[in-house]
Amino acid sequence: MTTVLIILALLVGAYLVAVLEGWVSTGRFRPAAPVLSGVALLGRESLVPRKPDRIFFEVGPVLLLVSAVLAAAVLPLSPGLIITDLATGALFVNAALAYVMVALLMAGWGPDGAYAMVGGFRFLGQLVGYSMPIVMTIVGVAMRAESLVTTQIVESQATLPNAVYQPVGFVVFFVAAMSVCFLPPFDLPTAPGELAGGVTAEYTGWRLAVMRLARAVLVVTLAASVTVFYLGGWNGPVLPPWAWTAAKTLAVAAVMLVAGRHVPRLREEHLLAWYWKIAIPLALLNILYVGIVLIAGSSSSMSM
Amino acid sequence: MSARASARASATLYGARVARASWLGRLIARATARDLLAFVVPGPEIARARGLDLRAAGLHLSPTPRHANVLVVVGWLPEGLREPAAVAYAQMPRPRAVLALGAKGVSPLPGPDVFVDLDQGALDDGVAKLRRLFAEGAFDPEAESFEAAALRSKTRYACPMHPEVVQDEPSTCPQCGMDLIPREGAAGAGHGHADHGHGGQDHAHHEGMDHDEDTGEDTGGQAHGWFPHPGGAEDEHDDAEHGESGYVEGSGEGHSHEGHGREHGLAHGDAGGGFETGEHGGHGGMNHENMDQGTEDHNEEGPGHEKHGDMDKGGMNHGGHESMDHGDMGFMSMVEMTQGTPRSSDGLQMEWVETPFGPLFPGLPGGLSLTFTLDGDTVAQTQAGSAVGARAWEGLNGPVESFAERLAGLDPLSPLSHRLLALRAVESAAGARVDESDALARVGALERERAASHLNWLAGFGYLIGYSWLAKRAEELQLALLRADAEEVAGIRTRVRQFTRRVERTPLLRRKLAGVGRVPDLDRAVGPVARTGGRRIDARLEEETYLPLGFEPVVLEGDDAHARLRARLAEAEQSLGFVEEAGGVSTPGAAPEIDGASGRGAATVETPRGAANLALTLEDGDVTITELETPSARHLGLVEGVTEQRELADALVGVASLDLSPWEVVR
Repeated sequence: MTTVLIILALLVGAYLVAVLEGWVSTGRFRPAAPVLSGVALLGRESLVPRKPDRIFFEVGPVLLLVSAVLAAAVLPLSPGLIITDLATGALFVNAALAYVMVALLMAGWGPDGAYAMVGGFRFLGQLVGYSMPIVMTIVGVAMRAESLVTTQIVESQATLPNAVYQPVGFVVFFVAAMSVCFLPPFDLPTAPGELAGGVTAEYTGWRLAVMRLARAVLVVTLAASVTVFYLGGWNGPVLPPWAWTAAKTLAVAAVMLVAGRHVPRLREEHLLAWYWKIAIPLALLNILYVGIVLIAGSSSSMSM
Repeated sequence: MSARASARASATLYGARVARASWLGRLIARATARDLLAFVVPGPEIARARGLDLRAAGLHLSPTPRHANVLVVVGWLPEGLREPAAVAYAQMPRPRAVLALGAKGVSPLPGPDVFVDLDQGALDDGVAKLRRLFAEGAFDPEAESFEAAALRSKTRYACPMHPEVVQDEPSTCPQCGMDLIPREGAAGAGHGHADHGHGGQDHAHHEGMDHDEDTGEDTGGQAHGWFPHPGGAEDEHDDAEHGESGYVEGSGEGHSHEGHGREHGLAHGDAGGGFETGEHGGHGGMNHENMDQGTEDHNEEGPGHEKHGDMDKGGMNHGGHESMDHGDMGFMSMVEMTQGTPRSSDGLQMEWVETPFGPLFPGLPGGLSLTFTLDGDTVAQTQAGSAVGARAWEGLNGPVESFAERLAGLDPLSPLSHRLLALRAVESAAGARVDESDALARVGALERERAASHLNWLAGFGYLIGYSWLAKRAEELQLALLRADAEEVAGIRTRVRQFTRRVERTPLLRRKLAGVGRVPDLDRAVGPVARTGGRRIDARLEEETYLPLGFEPVVLEGDDAHARLRARLAEAEQSLGFVEEAGGVSTPGAAPEIDGASGRGAATVETPRGAANLALTLEDGDVTITELETPSARHLGLVEGVTEQRELADALVGVASLDLSPWEVVR
């Protein structure tokens, strides 16, 4: 039952993200657009390139969807409304999201096209950038909650969300999360102007529909993880807990979608340089900072 | 039905998908009709230059034909783009349609499903009609498949050692005496498409070659990689993968020869039908390993690279890992695999993949044929050319009355500058003088075109660098400017100024563009490219009309994409100031009355891209061009310098920052 509810919530979220994305990019609010284009995609031919690596080609989009859904499985919508409350939940999110890279690499390699292939390998480079900061910032979150269980992480923020408690970690995680779901300005693997769609360039018809759905679900998952780790998840007055999680997740997704329109796409070398030279040191400092605050807090409470 | 528009008589779509009509089909068809995704040929910048707002008409632009369902053909399609356009059409999944604006003759494309005039109102009508067509005829059990000669492949014979030797019949190489080897290419314009009954004979020619292939022509269209849909509804057809169309490797099941050295590359398909059908097992899993067996194929000067020569046929095409897939090869160590392959500057060895970025690439002006040889994501080699330029300037010769018209028709991106160039040259030849008010009106028109052209460039550039806000705003301003009358120009100038300030404050923009696109040989540059290298070069400096306007060219230091972006924005604003002062934006009229005047004349106009020079002789009302020098022709030579050894994205930014117009280049 919970599983069904969460999957439904994810689908609704993906739908809303698609509406938002259309709204942001065309300037027109068309709530029916995602449904229309989804149905239209199903009615279109789904071509297979001439010399595909068939397994990679077919598995890529599906794996992307699976990894996004898996990561969402450990994120609570409200107390008790979570597919599985793993003891290593916060780490599991990372483990599941690692397959995003695998999926994109497969989708890039599979169709045997240069644009797609360059796109796939670009994302590999992107992973080298974002994967360390994303784990390190979660460490800061887990330290405060003294647990990797996502529900306990949410509870630890009952008084003060992590976005305020450790703002540096929040910013780094937010940026890294945008990189994971390759949203502009981190859309190096899909870059429409540079690679004519990159990893998605060779997908058509229902396969493209799966790819787009997977990407939308991925955005929801990442927005939800920002909500759970940094924005206090379901905590909030008046509204029911699930509504708080949903509202915060949507707000995060909206910010992610809008932000990318106002900056140019990053250069691969800058992406890597900035992640390693700026984001990783910041994430380490964040761990140190959280540690000091925790020790100071516990010693002051002991002295009382 | 609008009087202006005409459509095919039936309600079915030529590019309908083969399927029985059912309630589900009707539902999907109706959804498709409301989800029109356009791939624009020659390119969105041409549509913008013509003042068309495709978005406002309800078309969403798609970066690749694969995701599009409407091929929008804007205006007359030059010969060099017809085949790529047909390829792009073939790459679109069905149901699909062709919307032709302003010109009908687009063979080998199928006749347009909807044909309307080149203006916004007609475009709106056309899109409405297209929606009806999709809603009613997206699925049709009897839809015909698209067959065009240009999409078939044919066998030609080439020397393995001298790639420039290509003949239609099997024989020996005149240079080295080796047997020519058959290879499959596209039967494109220029070399016809005759049937080559080479049935069994080609196995005699397999010595030392790399990619021999039967065309399978005699087995009918199905065996061709070019066009996929013999049967229609099923999804598993092979696809028109045109990047590879130039040469299709022998890939049939188990026909690869195992061997060493040069013979490594020997692989041949079975006679007829040795092509991929998507389900072949022969290459499964293997074809992506970097198995460059024919090690010599990858020498820079070796034949290996030349074999992709025809690739620019395909517009969007995907260059694939062509040289990789050779059927059943045994294990090869990394050392063996990379032996003899070219080394990039970082010492890493990778397979070089020749990839076309044009003539229909979304981030670059349509018609610009750019081919990068990619070494990973670094550009190792560059070839740049134009698919849309004139074959020779001689084609423009003729009666003087229509000369300005002809020259203006040369380049849809800056027709006015070219018209002005023609007028001035003719006047100089005939010794005619232009009075002051006319000269000022011309300045107004020219400067407006400059501003619009720069904004148009910016819209495309914004798209390339993934800065959507910039692209959208620049497009809005450009279209507003094209539609503005003299009074509204002041308002647009204010908006451009605000826009400029906003762009300058954009985070990361400088970091992204600084240092990209440096031109090693600035002496060859003109126009904004030269001026952003700190050179005060501008043909307007010598023009009397500009003196009272207090003209001072925008000269910036930097010599990179960022400086060019700033310079074009500043020039756009400056130009709009001149338009205000000139007080009019009327287009210069027809050629002055010249009765049988004769003489030589020359003129220079500072076009948006730099100075263009024209020298001509006028004799009894006939014009003969003796010299025409355009900025894009000069800048095309700079492409190599700004791209080679650059990361792919930087290389593309560098090329785009030059603002090349492939139309004003001799092919």
